[in-house]
Parts: sequence; structure tokens; C-alpha cells
Amino acid sequence: MEEQSQLAQYLPVLMLGVLAVAFSFGMLVVSVIVGKKGKRSPIKDTAYECGMLPIGEGGGRFSVKFYLVAMLFILFDIEVVFLYPWAVVYREMLKQNGGLILGAMLSFLGILFVGYIYAVKKRAFDWKS
Amino acid sequence: MNLALLSHEWLVVALGLCLLVADLWTPASARRILGYVAAAGLGAILLYSLIAVRPELQPACGNMYVLDGLALFFKRFFLAAAIIVLLMSAEFFDRLQAGIGEFYALVLFALTGMLFAASANDFALLFVSLELITVTFYVLASFQRTRLNSLEAGVKYLIMGALSTSFTVFGIALVYGISRKLNFNDLAAVAPQFGGNRIFLFGLLLVLVGLGFKIAAFPFQLWAPDVYQGAPSPTTAFLAVGSKAAGFVLLLRVLFVAVPDITAQWSRLLIVISGITILYGNLCAIPQRNIKRLLGYSSIAHAGYMLLGIAASAATIANTTQNPGAGAAAVLYYLGGYLFAVLGAFTVICLALRHVENEDIPALAGLGQRSPLLATTLTLAMVSLAGIPPLAGFFGKFLLFKAALAQGPAHPAYYWLVAAAIAGVVISLWYYFGVVHAVYWSKEAANLSPISISRTMRATLYACVAGMFFIGLCPGPLLDCAAEAVKALRL
Amino acid sequence: MNVGIEHYVVVSAILFALGLLGVILQRNLLIIYMGLELMLNAANLALVAFSRFNNNPDGQIFVFFIITVAAAEVAVGLALIVALYRKRQTVQVEDLARMKL
Repeated sequence: MEEQSQLAQYLPVLMLGVLAVAFSFGMLVVSVIVGKKGKRSPIKDTAYECGMLPIGEGGGRFSVKFYLVAMLFILFDIEVVFLYPWAVVYREMLKQNGGLILGAMLSFLGILFVGYIYAVKKRAFDWKS
Repeated sequence: MNLALLSHEWLVVALGLCLLVADLWTPASARRILGYVAAAGLGAILLYSLIAVRPELQPACGNMYVLDGLALFFKRFFLAAAIIVLLMSAEFFDRLQAGIGEFYALVLFALTGMLFAASANDFALLFVSLELITVTFYVLASFQRTRLNSLEAGVKYLIMGALSTSFTVFGIALVYGISRKLNFNDLAAVAPQFGGNRIFLFGLLLVLVGLGFKIAAFPFQLWAPDVYQGAPSPTTAFLAVGSKAAGFVLLLRVLFVAVPDITAQWSRLLIVISGITILYGNLCAIPQRNIKRLLGYSSIAHAGYMLLGIAASAATIANTTQNPGAGAAAVLYYLGGYLFAVLGAFTVICLALRHVENEDIPALAGLGQRSPLLATTLTLAMVSLAGIPPLAGFFGKFLLFKAALAQGPAHPAYYWLVAAAIAGVVISLWYYFGVVHAVYWSKEAANLSPISISRTMRATLYACVAGMFFIGLCPGPLLDCAAEAVKALRL
Repeated sequence: MNVGIEHYVVVSAILFALGLLGVILQRNLLIIYMGLELMLNAANLALVAFSRFNNNPDGQIFVFFIITVAAAEVAVGLALIVALYRKRQTVQVEDLARMKL
């Protein structure tokens, strides 16, 4: 019974997905069918009265600094993944071999810390300059 | 759990981290000295390894890590290579605008990966060590980031390296899924029963594809010429020696520790790949004009020669002959000779062509008059790579061919393989001689100003020449070491 | 229908093949790189599924290592592609052809 319901558990998810897709497409279709179609020409598409003429590219560029910080974030963020399994077994391992479990994580964090010092000294976190 | 077993790795990591931090507080003018400090530190570690470290039968880290004879042999090999590369890069520093301190640190981190690779006894450690090497080499290859060739080399290595990693990881996933084992010893116990399982064999094949990329064997060699040409010379030297040897030690472990029974079935595949790699590398090297690109193709050919030894060993698993380890031992011996010849050649390239934009062979013209020492070293390196007696390359090839011929009576394919390899050697004489010709007899020499060589570089060159002669003329000690080392494999 | 190990392996194989196709067919370095990441994650999926069905935690530990290493690889790779873009104003593979023969 339980085995069979394995996929059935996902039925609400499937229904929600179908509903979402149907709704968004339905809106588009309905707006095409029901909505009024105005006459369009290039002149009509231009800005008028208080409208601003677009300047520059559509998507503004981000500062390069942002990309650097984002990348450092990925690195330091992902390394934390090792802390979870470590934390799970920590209490148990502490009884058997406390020095090892603590030393292993401290050396790992130590290496990460050197990387952090390096990034700070190289002004990778410096937004202004 | 014995952490003392990991002493090589701890020491090198600590040295690398200290260097990285020290670089931050060192004035730019003094940073070059850090390279000599790093080389001296590695020298001390190598000395400690030779005197104090003995092969240990007890594995560490839950049987992930072993320190057997094979691991020690390769650890010392990598340390020796890294020392020469560091000295070379200290000399090369004026072409690196980005700051030399990181370059030294990255060389040490790549070295750490190689040291771990030498001891890997588990697919997890294989993957992590392989990636530590590869990812640091992405940076090392593109270190001259204002030079377009270097950037291009880095990006090409990045794409091909990441592709090979994906293959390896997917292969490991399949092998693990079928056998439930990641450890090589555990896998060896259960592997024979999966000899007919297609998914298991496919996974294993994908792992070998990843390692094939590392050693630049056909058909996974496409990246090698471009990356060798574009990367800074010290990087190329380390790539040609260290990274390739790391690929070989992992290949030996996977083939002869994890799945020896399946390797025996695959000897035919190894023969074909080895033969094609030799012929491809040698034939493509002929028209090359750039010396680093030529050495890239030649390194493909050398990977083929060493695969020949592995193929010979693969046959001995099925039918035990008198000397089952001969092929693998010959590979180790060959790598020893290859180390000195390649590093000697790249040291010369570094010194002679450091102010030339493109390292074309005609730029070597007149080197015989500009610096007899450089010319002699380059000539000897080419002669050794070509395999002419009495230098190291000759005896290495002789041993490899002998090991393959010993398998000839049982499998005639080995005769064909040796024939192809000898054809390759004959072809290679042509382009190696082309380099020597440019050095001594070229008429187009434009610049005849003598080249000044620093004292450390002089010592490095002498060491490379001495190494080539010693290994060639007196092969006993290295051969004993190699024979001792391959006892760790299940041959 | 019962979801078994085969389904996971097939999905992961499809993802792997899609990633490989992207690497082979695409000409933009960034998209090639996305294909490579897809291949790695296909392997992760297979490993986790095998680990779950084999009742053996090794595979999941291994996935941790793959994730962290892949993050490092992405950081280095993106930095390299940015450096190339600054120098050449392009991220198309056809433009990576300075070194020939």
C-alpha cells in the first residue's frame, strides 16, 4: 500500500504544476481572444508627451566588484557543507577520539581562514575603491 | 588512525599557506626570494622523506590513504620536479605581471594534490587529489593574464579538464552503484563478480577516460598542444612532468589494485590506445614550429610509450611469467629519465627564449654560440627524449619494449605494438634532430649576444644533465627502487 | 508505479547526456560551462540515489566533496572566462584559435 502511494504523494505537486501552467497560458490566450486590438504602427510605439526616450542598454551592467564578492560568497558558503556531517557525528566521535575530530575541523577552518586573510588583504571585500 | 603518515602533505600545505601569507607582507622587490625559500623548504622535505620515511603497510584515514613503496616513489618524484619548477619560475618572474608569490603557492598546492594522488587508495581521494591538481593548473596555465595565448590555454584546459572530471565522476558513480564500494581494496575483492556487468564496465571505462585526459593519451589528447604552447614555461614543465605522472600513478592504482582481473581482459584495448598514441604524437610533432608545442606532441608520444609498459603488465595478470612487474617497473624508471630530460629542456626554453614573444624553433638559432651550456643541455635532453644511448631515455625505452616483447609469444599483438613504437622512435629522431639543428647549424641567427645564467639556474641545468647521465649509465639504483615500488601492485 | 533505482539512473543518464550535448553543440563558453555543471550534477544524483538504495552512506559523503570541488572549479572557471572577456570582448569558442599547428 505504502509502496504504491510513493508516486501518489506527488499528485498535489503535479496538480499545482498543471494549474500554474494552465493559468498562465490561459491568461495569455484569453487576453488575445477577449482583449481589444488597437492599430499599431512604429509612430504609435514611440514615447509621447512626458515619456522619456530610452538611454543606454536595456539591462544595466553590475559593477565587477559585485561579481568578485558573489564568487567569494559561493566559495565560503559551500565549504560550510562539511560542517553539517561533522556536527552530526561530533558528540559521538568526541568520546572515542576527541583530538582527531576537533583537530580535523580546526585545520580545515584554519586553511579557510588563511584564504579569508588573503582575500581581505587583497581588498577583495573593498566596495569603494 | 595514523596522521604521521600524512607528513609530506602536511608539510607542503603548511609551506604553501605560509608562502601565501608571507607574500602579502613582502615588498614586491623581494617576492622573488620566496621562490628560493619554497624550493629550499621542499628540498628539506625531500631530504626528510629520503632519510626518515619508510614504506608503511598500515593505511590511514579509513584505508583511503596508503603509504606503500609506490606512493613513496612518486612522492619523491613529485617533490624533485616541484623544486626544479620553483627555481625555474623564480627565474621566469619578470614575465609574470600578476605577482609571483601566488604562483609559488599554487605550485605547492598542485604538488599537494600530486602527493595525495600518489597515496590514493579510494575513489574519493582519487577525485579530490585529481581536482586539486587540475583546478590549480587552470590558474597556473592562465597566470600571464595579459597575454592572450596564456588565457586561451587556461580556458581550453578549463573546458577539457572539467569535461574529463565529469566523465570520471559519472564513471565512479556507476562503479559505486553496482559494487557499493569506493575503496580500491574492497573493490578488488568484489570486482571479479562484476566482470560481465555492462554498467560496471562502462563506469570503469569512464574513469579511465578521465585519467586518459590527464596523461594526454589518444583520443583525449586534443588539449595538450594548445595548453603546452600557451601556458607559461614553468607551468608547462610542471604539467608535462607532475600532472602526467599523477595520472600514471592513479592509472596504475586503478588498473592493478582496484580491478586487476578486468584489466587483464582489457589488455587489447590498452595495446591499441598505446600504439595509436605513440604514432599520433610523433607524426603530429614533425611539422611543428613552436618548441613548446613540439614538446606537447612529444609528451603525447611519451604517454604512449608508458602505456605500452602498462599494457605489458596487464597481460602478466592473466599468465604469470617470471617477472610480472617488469612493465610497471619500466614505466616508473622511464618517468625518472623523462623528469630530467623534460625539466632540462624547459629550463633552457625559459632562459633562452624568455624575451621572445613566440617560442619558435628558429629563435633558438645561434644558441650554440650564445650559451654553450644551454645548447648542450637542450641537445642532451632531446637525445634522451629520442632514446639514443647512453642517456636515460634509451634504457627506459629498452626496458619498456623488453617487457612488451616478453608477452609476445602469448599475444602476437605485442609484437605489432613494439613495431609501432620503434617506428615512432625513428620518426621522433627527425623532429628532435630538427631542434638540435636549429641550435647549432642554423644560419638565420639574428641575435648572438651571450645569455647570462644565474648560479642557481646553472646548478639546475647541471643537475638535469647529471640526472640524465646517471640514470642512463647506472640504471641499477633507480631500477631497484622501481621494482620495489611496484610490489605494491597486484601483479 | 513504483519509483526504483532504475528511474533515478535513467534520469541521471539523461541529464548527463544533455550536459554533454550542450558542451559539444554550444558555442558560448558560459553555456558550455553550464553543460559541464549539469554533467557533474547528473553524477551527484546517481551517487545519492545509489547511496540511498544500497543503504551505504559513502556515496552521499562523496557528493559533499563533489559539490565543494565543483564550487571551487566554478569560481576559477568564471574568473578565467571574465578575464578572457575583458581581453577579447568575446566568449565564443570560435575566437579561441590563436594557436594552430
